[in-house]
This record gives sequence, structure tokens and C-alpha cells, in this order.
Amino acid sequence: MNGTLVKNQLIFDFASGILGPAKSIFTSTYLQLNSNASKASNTFENMLGENLMDNENIHPKNLKYTDCIHNENIQSASNPKDPVISFFGNLNNLDWKQIYKGFKEYTASIDDKDELKLIKMDPGVSVPLHSHGGKEYILVLEGSFCDEFGEYSKGDIQINDQKIKHTPIASKDTGCVCLSITEKDVIFFGKYGSFLNLFTFIKSFFKQK
Amino acid sequence: MKRIQKDRDEMAFSEIFDFFAPKINAYFIQNRIKIESSEELTQEVLSTVWVKSNLYDSNKSALSTWIFTIARNKKVDFFRKNSKINFQEEDIREFLYQDREVDPIEENEAKKQIERINNELDEQQKIMIKMNFFENKSHKKIADELEIPLGTVKSRLRHILTKMQEFLR
Repeated sequence: MNGTLVKNQLIFDFASGILGPAKSIFTSTYLQLNSNASKASNTFENMLGENLMDNENIHPKNLKYTDCIHNENIQSASNPKDPVISFFGNLNNLDWKQIYKGFKEYTASIDDKDELKLIKMDPGVSVPLHSHGGKEYILVLEGSFCDEFGEYSKGDIQINDQKIKHTPIASKDTGCVCLSITEKDVIFFGKYGSFLNLFTFIKSFFKQK
Repeated sequence: MKRIQKDRDEMAFSEIFDFFAPKINAYFIQNRIKIESSEELTQEVLSTVWVKSNLYDSNKSALSTWIFTIARNKKVDFFRKNSKINFQEEDIREFLYQDREVDPIEENEAKKQIERINNELDEQQKIMIKMNFFENKSHKKIADELEIPLGTVKSRLRHILTKMQEFLR
């Protein structure tokens, strides 16, 4: 799969304003941590800004500029917050769920078809060989991990789909914290594979209830 | 814009209003928002420009880009509200804009880059970019309006995306 294309697709969709809440938080964080992504997004927003400049005119019938000056619905007070903190608060205070030793997850309750999760891996911990039922997006927030395809550190995105089987290992020095989006559940292989598949199966069963 | 930021100059604002209000209104209508709502949203966008004018930084973006992003965000919020999704990201959006690091030289480069991109795209490609990303029309709608087969729309958009990748690298 062409990873760059999928990454840029996130940026295009974010700029166009068609992402659901989960992907929107994910992409905001990506833009915050990755300056190349942020530049690409600026360029694309500039293009869309030009479209606005050159757009046709459909004059509003009942609107004067004074209506905009005297509009009490718009508050000036704002409290800018970085995406992860705004959404999750302090990561140390979250109710992390241990999936197995050294591997913890926190699933966000968010009103969306995509699942948004935080993943925390202790230094040197690995995930058994697995593939993916649907698309999975992983963004490194802290530390780094590597797998058969390369090393990923803060601000890097890895995108996985059905065709990819891999064994990610968290950095021995720092471990890693990642933000992930899953479109469908993951399929595991190998030693603990059948057990973990059973686990995801049971999890999905409870989810349906 | 400086006159608005410094002196709260209402006449300066009325000029921005006259230029942008019909274009923003058209943007919402192109995005399939009904005229009653489109005017309300246009008012919200321009009120935001007035109330939050101090957030705008000409080193970070062209005015048209800043106004576009406000309009786009109102559109996102409008559609979420209509599908009963309760999710606010205003704090995050403002953080991202303020956090953005751009030095003025790079901003010039950005303008040159846009010019270069525009030179390399033909008229139909530009129209398709606008329809797909600005107006968010479905491939089917684009095919109908341009009177070309759906398959052709898909393959041309794919080609445009590949081209854009090279531009954004």
C-alpha cells in the first residue's frame, strides 16, 4: 500500500473538512507533531483559500456587515489546547487497561465509527506477529518503535492494512506511546495469536451487546 | 485587516464583508447547505473574523486562507450538529493555528509554490480539485456536471492526487 498517499489523504480530508471526530483528533495531532505534514497542510489550505478568493458570488439576502459586528453568539474567549491534552487530559491519570504485560491501551469514548485509542508499550516490549482486518493508523506521540518495515519516532505515522503482517517492538530505552485509529479489529498470528484472536473476538462480542 | 486589529475599524471590516460574504455564502451552498442556514453560517464566519481578528497572523497565512479555514470549521460543526455528534474542537483548532511555525521567507515560498502548482495543472484539473475538495461533491455528481463517465472522474482524480503528492513533498 502506498503509505504516503494515505497520509496525504488524511491531510486533504482534514483541510476539506470531511473527517469524523476520531480521524480529526488524530490528524490534528499529526499536524502538531510533524512539521512536514503541517507544511503540506498549509499549502493545501492555501489552495483552497485561493478557491474561496475566486469563488462565485451568491449575495446573502438578509445580512449586513453590522449584523456581524453585533453578534453576541460569538465568544472571544478561547482556551487553546493541544489536541491530545484537550481530548484525553493528563495521560498519567487515565484508566489504562493492561492487555498483556508491558502493553496497555486506553480506548476513547468518542461518537464515531472509527475507534480512537492510546497505546502504551514499555521499553523493549513487542507485539506478536499480526495482520489487520481493516486499516489501522498509528502515530507515535512519545518514544519510538520499530518493526520489519522501519523505525518510527515522534510524529511518524504508520499505516497498516490487511496485507501487512508485522511485529512491532518498542524502543529499549524509551518505550512508546502512540495514538491509533482502527477501522476494524486486528488478526493475530503465532505463539499467542490464537489466544489474542479469541480475546478480540470476545471483546467484539461484548461490544455488540 | 490591520485596521480592524488595531483600531476596530468598522469601515475596514465592511470592505472585507463586501468581498467575502457572497463568496462564503456560495461556499456553503456549494456544500449543499440550504440558503437559510448558509446565511446564518456566513454571519457566524464573518462575526468570528471581527471578534477574533487578533488571532489572525499575516505571517502565518493569507487572509483568504484564514477565512477559508473558519468557514470550513463552521461547516464541520454544522454537519456534526445535524447528525447529533456532540464534539467540539475549537480549542484544538486555535492551538494548531497559534502553534504553527512559519517564518516570513517560507511564506513567500508558499506563494511561489501555489503559483507553480497552478501552472502545472490544466483548467479541468483545477475545476476537479475545486469540486472534490472545496465543494466536496461526490464523484457521481462531478461526472454528471462535467458530462464525463464516472470511471474517468475516478482515474483523473487519482492522477491529480498523485500529482499533488509531488507538489507537497
